[in-house]
Order: sequence, then structure tokens, then C-alpha cells
Amino acid sequence: MDINLLFKIAAIGILVAVLYQVLCRAGREDQAMMTTLAGIVIVLSMVIKEISTLFTTVRTTFNL
Amino acid sequence: MDVIQIIGIGLVAVIISIILKENRPEFAVFISIVVGVIIIVGLIPNVKNIIDYIQNLSSKININSNFVNILLKITGIAILTEFAVSVCNDANEKAIGSKIDLGGKILIISMSLPIIKALLDVILKILP
Repeated sequence: MDINLLFKIAAIGILVAVLYQVLCRAGREDQAMMTTLAGIVIVLSMVIKEISTLFTTVRTTFNL
Repeated sequence: MDVIQIIGIGLVAVIISIILKENRPEFAVFISIVVGVIIIVGLIPNVKNIIDYIQNLSSKININSNFVNILLKITGIAILTEFAVSVCNDANEKAIGSKIDLGGKILIISMSLPIIKALLDVILKILP
């Protein structure tokens, strides 16, 4: 729950961007789209886990 | 979490989101969400101290305790809605941000009705 999560997301983002360019140059736009979607799903699952911890901590502190 | 950490995480996240915004804009939104979560969760202990202090004070001055609870709930709602609205505005989705803002305001007003009622009772008692 600190900065290495930020770097993990940055690494996945840069990797997906590079893969997208490479696959586009190779003429496989559909596979490029697939890898982008896969990267987004992975990062989304990580971010949703973080957001749920945020909501539970705020809910307990402010007894919402 | 002291101020140096907050500033450091914020600046690093700005650099990373600029790198990613150019060709993969959706990851920039992920970065801004994660930084918001890290900073708010890091600040929760400080907020807890403030809350305990307020509750001690209010029990000494025997303020009605459920008013203080309502105020804490309103603060919690305000923090979360402000977090969501700023993420939406950052992603150029002002319409969604304003809907979240509207929802937060309506919930806050609906929670503060008992306080308004108590205020009116006090005023009516004062008037001759």
C-alpha cells in the first residue's frame, strides 16, 4: 500500500504501450487491442482492491 | 505520513502520469486514483487523532453526541465525494463529476436535517 504499487502500475502501462506499438507495426492490430485490454483489466483489479481498502478505512474512521 | 512523503508521492505520480498520458491515457487515470488512495489512507491516522480530540471535547462540554456523529459522517462523505469528483474532472469527465457532487450534497443535506430541526427549536425557544 505504498509507492511500489504506483511503480507496478506504471510498469504495466509502459509495457502495454510498447507492446501496442510493436504489434501495430507488425500489422496485428487486433492482438494489440487484446494486450491493451488485458493490461487494463490487470491494473483495474489492483486499483479496485486499493479503492475497497480506502472505502473500508474511511467508513470505519467516520462510522459512515 | 508527513508532508515530505505526500509531496514526494505526488510529484512522482505526476511524472509517471505524464509519461503514460501521451499514448495510454487510461493508465493516467489509474495513477491518479492510486495516488489519491495512498495519500488519503496515509492521512487516516492523523484524522483519527483529530476525531478523538473532538469527541473528548464534545463529551466535556456535553454537546449532544449524535450531532458530533452526524458532523463526522458529513466530513467522511465530503472527503470521499471530493476524491471522486477530482478524479472525474482530471479525466475530463465533468458531467460525471458534477453528478457525484450533486449526490454528495443531497446526502449531506439529508443527514443534517436533525441538526437544522434542533437549531430551529432553540431559536423558537429564544423568541418571545
